[in-house]
Amino acid sequence: MRRHPSSRALRHARWQSVLAVAAIASAVALPVVLVSVGGGVAAHELASLEQSGYQLVVSAEGLHGIGNAHQDEVKLLALPNVEDAAPILSIAVDAFNASGNVSPLLAEGVVPYPFAATLGPSEAGLFPLPLPLGDPNDTVHFAHGTYLGPTTYDVLLSSTYASKFGVRVGSSVVLSPTTNASLGVRYNVTGLFGTPLSVVQPSGAFAAVLLLSNLQTLAGYASGPHAVVPDGADTIEVVVTPSAAENPAALARVANEVQGAFPAYTVTTLSSEASQLRSAASVLTGFYLALSSVGLAVGLLFLALVLVRRVERERRSIGIRRAIGVPAWSVAGAIVQDGATLAAGGTAVGVVAGYLVVRGLATWASATVQEAAQLAIFGPVFLLELVGAVVALSVVASLAAVRSAWSIDLLEALR
Amino acid sequence: MSSSAAPRVELRKVSRTYAAGGAEEVRALREVDLDLPAGGFVSVGGPSGCGKTTLLNLVGLLDAPTDGELRWDGTPVGLRSDRERSRLRLEMVGFIFQRFYLLPTLTAAENVELPMRALGVPRAERRERAAGLLREVGLEERARAYPHQLSGGEEQRVAIARAVANGPGLLLADEPTGELDSASANVVLDLLVRVRAARQATLVLVTHNPEVAARASRHLTLRDGRVVADRAGA
Repeated sequence: MRRHPSSRALRHARWQSVLAVAAIASAVALPVVLVSVGGGVAAHELASLEQSGYQLVVSAEGLHGIGNAHQDEVKLLALPNVEDAAPILSIAVDAFNASGNVSPLLAEGVVPYPFAATLGPSEAGLFPLPLPLGDPNDTVHFAHGTYLGPTTYDVLLSSTYASKFGVRVGSSVVLSPTTNASLGVRYNVTGLFGTPLSVVQPSGAFAAVLLLSNLQTLAGYASGPHAVVPDGADTIEVVVTPSAAENPAALARVANEVQGAFPAYTVTTLSSEASQLRSAASVLTGFYLALSSVGLAVGLLFLALVLVRRVERERRSIGIRRAIGVPAWSVAGAIVQDGATLAAGGTAVGVVAGYLVVRGLATWASATVQEAAQLAIFGPVFLLELVGAVVALSVVASLAAVRSAWSIDLLEALR
Repeated sequence: MSSSAAPRVELRKVSRTYAAGGAEEVRALREVDLDLPAGGFVSVGGPSGCGKTTLLNLVGLLDAPTDGELRWDGTPVGLRSDRERSRLRLEMVGFIFQRFYLLPTLTAAENVELPMRALGVPRAERRERAAGLLREVGLEERARAYPHQLSGGEEQRVAIARAVANGPGLLLADEPTGELDSASANVVLDLLVRVRAARQATLVLVTHNPEVAARASRHLTLRDGRVVADRAGA
């Protein structure tokens, strides 16, 4: 048996095909990872919004921009179709457990009764209800803005924090606005709550819920027992009546009424927030695809080069086919088919590689990345669109090779 | 499949000129007048560069004349579009090259199937006919071998099977035994003669070898792009 030079050429061609598939695969894996994870996170956030127990959000510009939280709550409750209004203040504090370990916590100051009303079905299952914070309406310590009433100093801690630092119900922690424990206040742990899967974990999972007035004074707004404390909050979450909640026009009317009552504040509906989130997610997806298109362009350029190189190497074969009578369009079709096959193969490998990368991130990456990767969604429509787009672009990438094949001088090729 | 009827080929003052860089031109054929009746076996001889291959390429529509007219059965075909000439080649012409020119990525059977595939013959029929043709050239057992696994003689026999796959009326062989030892050359030549006779096709065979030429019924001799001798043979 003779060793034919073409057998080496065939091996070489196989390597080029493998490299072309690898180039397309790596270009495809990137958008698969970015879009599946990004889309998953956005979908999760949207689902959280849609499952919320409140429908309107009142906010003000600046940090803790609402200045009369308790009074505003009462004012909101006086409006028609408003069932509950829950002011919330969020501040980062440091927590010191009995062993002296310090950890940052996201502390949320709430008025227990209305806060519980704003919890959606999935969130409600995470909290002990009614919230064991001692003062359901936060009126005792608040004492009409004097902050001189007796306080309970109760706190709920996230189970993530509690398990990390060995804190149990019945023990205590010191919460301080600074890393100096001596400026802090000792709180009794009266309950634990679960934390929903979130991309801000694990730092976001280290959380505490306490009375709004307690957090207001802890935050350092008051410098002495008789100092005036701003009745601050970040937002007021508003629960409307079910009839208004289910009717967009009625909800818009309630939003307008709230806006009219609080002209200096911003009033948004959750549906508009969801819409903004969707827009942001679309922009991000566009950005991911733009970023990926660079890799894809390189992959397709490589494919084009492989095909052109293949045509150059197979000049004689093409000449033989043409001499036999195979029409030029058929030769062109074979090249395009070659390109599409390599692109489809590369895309399939890229999709699988992207899936495996996401699964790997969900298992072995840092905790925050793990959480995000666990939310990934591999939408079949997106994957099919991606495959279709890459295969369609491979036709464009094949054009240079087709042109090269058409320009082959038949007699030269057979010489 | 029934063979295409062999066309009567006529060349009228056919010339073929090639640009040779700059203003220089090479006149490969000069005002050739020639009639090739259907069903004959014609050998074409002459020194290297005399225009033998150019003549073959023009007759087989691989090339187009720069002057003059080429007709098949009285119909001008020399200046038809590339697409039309491709179709005529596919249906009417079988080429056998000196260097076999099998496609290295296809098996012997797939090489034989290639012209049928281009003609749109259904797969099952293609396979059956390719198997029959390989049987005819004595290579039934080598159907699944790739060209690099075949000897030179075997490759040329596969090439002959491929050339007759669509039942062409015109067989054009350019030095078909030029790269073979004498034993293989005889086998190939016998085969060519046999398949031509079986199909009543016209065989135009370019050769330097007087023994090969002796098998033809007519001998053409070319020199400097002109037919200088046209003799009857065996």
